[in-house]
Amino acid sequence: MPRAAQRRLHVLNRPKLRQSWSKYNLYNLWRTRDPKIGLADAETFFQQKWRAKGVLRSYHGEHIKERDWERMFSRRLLSVADMNPRYMAANDGSEMAAGRGSGQDMITPYMNMTFAPMERRLDIAIFRAMFASSARQARHFVVHGKVKVNGKVMPFPAYKLNPGDMFQVEPDSVLFATGQPKKKGGSGPRKASKAPEDNSEAEPAAEGAEAAEAAEASEVPEQDPETTDKPEAPKTDMKPTKFAIMDLSKQVKTILTRDRDLSALQKQNLRSFLKRAKSLLAKAGRSTATPTDIIDELNKTIKELNLSDDSAKAALTESSSSEQADVSSRPPPRSIEDLNAEELKALQRLIKEDEENPADPTKPYHTPWKPRDYMSPFAFIPRYLEVNQNVCSAVYLRHPVARNGAAEVPTPFGYGVNQLAFNWYLRRR
Amino acid sequence: MPPRIPTKPSASSASALVRSSFVSPCTSQCLPSCRAGFSTTPSRERSTILRRDFMMWLKTRGAKYRHPNPEGGPNYLASNTPFPLNPQFRSDRVLDEQARELIWEKVMKKGETLKAVSAELGVDLARVAAIVRLKEVEKDWISKGKRLATSYSKAILNMLPLKTFKPGVENRPLEAINEIHIHTATQKQLFWPTAESRQFTREDAAKAFHAKMLSADKRVPHPELIRMERDLLRDMSPDEARARFISAAEQSERQAAEKQRRKAMDEEQATKKVKTSRFEFRFKEVDSELVGKDGRAPNVVGWKYGMPHYDRKKGLVKIPTSVP
Repeated sequence: MPRAAQRRLHVLNRPKLRQSWSKYNLYNLWRTRDPKIGLADAETFFQQKWRAKGVLRSYHGEHIKERDWERMFSRRLLSVADMNPRYMAANDGSEMAAGRGSGQDMITPYMNMTFAPMERRLDIAIFRAMFASSARQARHFVVHGKVKVNGKVMPFPAYKLNPGDMFQVEPDSVLFATGQPKKKGGSGPRKASKAPEDNSEAEPAAEGAEAAEAAEASEVPEQDPETTDKPEAPKTDMKPTKFAIMDLSKQVKTILTRDRDLSALQKQNLRSFLKRAKSLLAKAGRSTATPTDIIDELNKTIKELNLSDDSAKAALTESSSSEQADVSSRPPPRSIEDLNAEELKALQRLIKEDEENPADPTKPYHTPWKPRDYMSPFAFIPRYLEVNQNVCSAVYLRHPVARNGAAEVPTPFGYGVNQLAFNWYLRRR
Repeated sequence: MPPRIPTKPSASSASALVRSSFVSPCTSQCLPSCRAGFSTTPSRERSTILRRDFMMWLKTRGAKYRHPNPEGGPNYLASNTPFPLNPQFRSDRVLDEQARELIWEKVMKKGETLKAVSAELGVDLARVAAIVRLKEVEKDWISKGKRLATSYSKAILNMLPLKTFKPGVENRPLEAINEIHIHTATQKQLFWPTAESRQFTREDAAKAFHAKMLSADKRVPHPELIRMERDLLRDMSPDEARARFISAAEQSERQAAEKQRRKAMDEEQATKKVKTSRFEFRFKEVDSELVGKDGRAPNVVGWKYGMPHYDRKKGLVKIPTSVP
């Protein structure tokens, strides 16, 4: 059996639910139906318990060894009862002893508390507080010293939180885990016009190395062990270069169509530049191309392109280094005095937003920060935690409890499955 | 796996060319791979049915989960729970920035007791304390000029079900504040014969379960609230009952603080501290004769005959159990 770290976290065939915000996990969560354990006579009780424990354990701390979890498991399930002060003031309890019963109540789902001891673990609490995109990533943060408990660095992911413990995660790590990933080519995310396969490759980096590996592994065809072919040399990513060329030619085209007062020579130059850009684009598509060669040639062509119009030239040279959107089509800048009150307010808001959330290329995530994709369906904070997102800190208030009609342990399956799993861990099998 | 046609190492290049001209429909497809490695194996299809279904789902029904709900609030797979198969887990509301600020102001600026704030707003006692503690950290960061994760906070609170409090008005409670833990001793069924004429109260029930057990009235986090409700039932004016509740809450908090202070002081007095250049040594008096009834009490100091000493045993978890 492969080690836990080598197994794939997200799969589409025979899916398992995981403590993760991956889109694969979301899809699996959406399509998973009730496992219907114990509804047919086909399975023995042992088999039912085995299957129930399997589906739950793959969600609850799959990175934790079974032996460790068995040690953690407790048959004592915590619950609370609501004592309404007004009712308690009006009655002394003897009305209950009168023997009339209290009627049918909602059940207290004790069995859903089977994995409650797991929620005490530091790494899982970090995931529950939404500071990491998966329990494995939370564990990674802990191991790498990004987490403090009561102000002291706690490097053990298996530390069991006590009621009242405060844990803090390094804000940069949290922003990295929950933000959009940085794109490989440039500083920001590309515009919406993208090929669909491209979309699938842009896996959120925060998903953890396992997930990325899994996604890649499913796409790369296997190498036939019998053939003696040399594996191909690793390809350099030519996409950014291609995009730069495409952007440039687009700008040249807009200049050609919009500017009426271009001289004939300038127009000729621009058209010849377009031609050369086209051939360069074809060159960039070849397997032998390197980004530096293409960029050098591109710069040479721009230099040869004799433009007397300084602004157009500036726009071109600027965009050859960075991939800016259409610069020449922007309206001319106005001074602040020209703005009316509403525009001023909007400007102030923009400045404030930029101050709070600046673009910073040194960060390992996309800036300005934005929440990662497919995050909102996973967004909840259980009641036993109190979280302050501003300082990326949370307090573990108490152990999770069950109450009438609800249990606080976030678990993907219902009462029956949890009950069978609980019975499995009672070790009377 | 698609069938593999074994490559013939003996085949000359000319015969390979001839062969390729016969199977012309294939050659146009697998030309790049042929050129790369002389392999006639057709490349594998890149996408499985499962993967295609997944991609299709992402574009159709899953599209609305990609970004947060544009109106704000939760965006779950099921109506009220992130887990469609477990309706018994609910995503509860969390307090927004304004509510947290209000609680912090009441406790730290106006000096109200935690119990009074908890009872007024309907927020769990431990939660009130935690909110104040976290707010203090936040204010500390601001005063030190450390950058807050404001954008992250806004985005997360935009995805969660929220609860807010307005200052100066009566707010609806966030949660039940007077909950008690269900004690293990009360989880068994008892056959307890009593006279029919007897008023068998909560006090008696507690005694029946265990001799030392306190009644529910004493175990709740807000016994003062029950007293206030009794006052109200006795036709006391609401203002007076409220004033009495607040003074009782103040007194109980003062007592708790005093108790904690005395405990810390006792601990301090029992420890002898010796400061050196590098360490501070702390010595405590321990009676090695106190070893329990059978001489094997688990928490006593020293080595005991016949009892395993787990301090340095290999394979045992030695991570701390608490951080002071």
